[in-house]
Amino acid sequence: MENVLLVRYGEIHLKGLNRPYFERKLVERIKFALRETGARIIYAQGRIYAWNIPENVKSSAIERLQRVFGIHSISPAVSVAKDWETICSTAKELLKDALSDGKRHTFKVFARRADKKFPMTSMEICCELGGYLLNEFDNISVDVHDPELKICVEVRENALLYTEEFMGAGGMPTGTAGRGTLLISGGIDSPVAGYMLAKRGLELSAVHFYSYPYTSERARDKVIELARILSTHSGEIKLHLVPFTDIQLAIYEKCPPKETTIIMRRLMMRIAERLAKADGSLALITGEALGQVASQTLQSLCVTDDAVSMPVFRPLIGFDKEEITAIAKRIGTFETSIMPYEDCCTVFVPQHPVTKPEVEDIRKSETAVDFTEMIEQAIKDTEVIELGRA
Amino acid sequence: MIYLDNSATTRTFDTAANAARKYMTEVYFNPSSAYSPAVSAEKSVNEARRRLCGALGAASGNVIYTSGATESNNMAISGCLSKKRGKGRIIVSSVEHPSVYETAQALSAKGYEVVTVGVDETGKVDLGAFGGCLTADTDFVSIMQVNNETGAVNDLPAIRSMIKKLAPNAVLHVDGVQGFLKVPVNMGQCDMYSISGHKFHAPKGVGALYVGNGVRFGGGQTGGGQESGLRSGTLNVPGIMGMDAAITTYLANEQAYRKQMVLCKQRLYDNMMKQGDVMLNGPSVDAGAPHILNLSFLGVRGEVMLHALEAKGVLVSTGSACSSHKKGKNRILGSMGITGERLEGAIRFSFSPMNTLAEIDTASEIIAETAAFLRKYKRR
Repeated sequence: MENVLLVRYGEIHLKGLNRPYFERKLVERIKFALRETGARIIYAQGRIYAWNIPENVKSSAIERLQRVFGIHSISPAVSVAKDWETICSTAKELLKDALSDGKRHTFKVFARRADKKFPMTSMEICCELGGYLLNEFDNISVDVHDPELKICVEVRENALLYTEEFMGAGGMPTGTAGRGTLLISGGIDSPVAGYMLAKRGLELSAVHFYSYPYTSERARDKVIELARILSTHSGEIKLHLVPFTDIQLAIYEKCPPKETTIIMRRLMMRIAERLAKADGSLALITGEALGQVASQTLQSLCVTDDAVSMPVFRPLIGFDKEEITAIAKRIGTFETSIMPYEDCCTVFVPQHPVTKPEVEDIRKSETAVDFTEMIEQAIKDTEVIELGRA
Repeated sequence: MIYLDNSATTRTFDTAANAARKYMTEVYFNPSSAYSPAVSAEKSVNEARRRLCGALGAASGNVIYTSGATESNNMAISGCLSKKRGKGRIIVSSVEHPSVYETAQALSAKGYEVVTVGVDETGKVDLGAFGGCLTADTDFVSIMQVNNETGAVNDLPAIRSMIKKLAPNAVLHVDGVQGFLKVPVNMGQCDMYSISGHKFHAPKGVGALYVGNGVRFGGGQTGGGQESGLRSGTLNVPGIMGMDAAITTYLANEQAYRKQMVLCKQRLYDNMMKQGDVMLNGPSVDAGAPHILNLSFLGVRGEVMLHALEAKGVLVSTGSACSSHKKGKNRILGSMGITGERLEGAIRFSFSPMNTLAEIDTASEIIAETAAFLRKYKRR
């Protein structure tokens, strides 16, 4: 008898001839997530198995796996020889543990026979094992529709038995979709946006703009911490910290007050695009939601997009703040996001920003300053921090 | 670096650091132990306690050592209310430190009657309004001696006599964190008094609560029965002896120290008032505590100014903890009726006797320059 974590994947099943590529990537990610546990990861027949996980780290291993994108669910199972008596006695032990609260419970046996040479069909396993267990215990009864306890048996190279199933994060293995560059501000939304697309398989770079000395060191540390938390889901993040003060001051000195925010955003996009290209990213990611603030009206988004040629992904575009907050809480970024430090967007905010900018007007206003050299300087002075590496 | 944030904390005096070190590395015994080296530690603490009573101008009563002002303030409130029957009536001012104000708010949520008394435009408790709040069934009053944001000094003798007349059963607790050693005090003016070591050049993590004779006081944390059973826990001997040394140093130079801080305050005020668009918050410059000056730089956002000054080596504080679009606007300045640009641009400067006039002049130039620069980027 041996303990094993049985890992099931989700959407990868829908892949055709390139499925092995996704499976390989997922195995890599699982190996990385469990690197400290000494686990041996084996892929076989549409399942991934993590063997040799010491009992004392099992629950933390499950938690780590729950953060690996591409995993549908995880079950801690016991693996035994494929003979009927062993299967029955193992199932009895498992059920005994599950019944340790002394109360009466309903149960059901689920069976899956991948090894078609096994003499009993799935249906027969269910009936026989169910009958056996019903005889062995007094305080159980069968409920095939809504059982409180599930005894699951999978007959493969060995027989695997388990009673629990932990849901995974879903999505696609990180890195299978290429690389995207997240504009991260320190607020609630951008880490969630990064999470959503990492979940779809993007590897992440991130860009943060700061206005030293007008924003505090804590604001910068906060963004590094947010990226670190995000990296516990997405894997490594290459975070670029871009000094933005000179550009901001130039905008506020030379451009119309109402347009400063939108012009600032266009410049952020331009710098982010440059850094993204250098990183091999093919898209920019922002946490914008339609209509949330003046710079997130449809007109403003159009004007922002006009500044770059890369596609801009906005996974939160149709989300309410409440929905975004719920995800931020779930992924653990919320508490850090709400720490009250000024960030570069709030330091110099106009009283009444324009909500319906016209591309032509903004382009014209921008010509008041030649930003070329300032952009080069900002990129030159950008600091890079790698987060979430082993 | 020019440090003008001495109300946040102070640099520990060398005398205090040395004393603390001695009681960590040489006389490190637990004063509750039975053998003679421990007795010597206990004696040292008790001598320090007597000296502290002297510094407080306490003819009688008891000093309980704590971990600092928050514990002292919390314990003063909870330790008194635990001795009252039923839900009591409590009065606090609207500008109290959070360790008093938030504690009172929490009691209010539990069903206590909590009355918040306002302040005048200089930040002092409005005595007219205060008199109106006092009733015979008032149990507890907590008023700070010196306000930490503005340096406003409350009229404790007047407050004391009003309470005696109108609320004779009430205990008067005074948060003396910003007042102790900086403005005169004696324990005849109150029933309880909180101090915090690190505000007067002692180490962090040590403070005290004075409890007058006759105050029905249930104490704080329970356990081994230290501090006459009123505050259990192994005594922080290094902290206590460090604080004792700091008090001794301070008292030996009291007048000179106060004078130096007043000079610094006045100089910074004069320098700043030569600039335009600067407003004083709090009492007139010659009236408040010697070490606190609160100025508003109109057209500048406090937090931005703070970081700009930080970059040039001048460390100050903004009253408001966070930016204008978030909650938590400055409760203190707000209570004084300060709003808008004046509220947003408020900066607190706080001095120590170690500040020099040369430093103040240098800082003044930097501040004036920074304010002028930032005004160019004023919200339009």
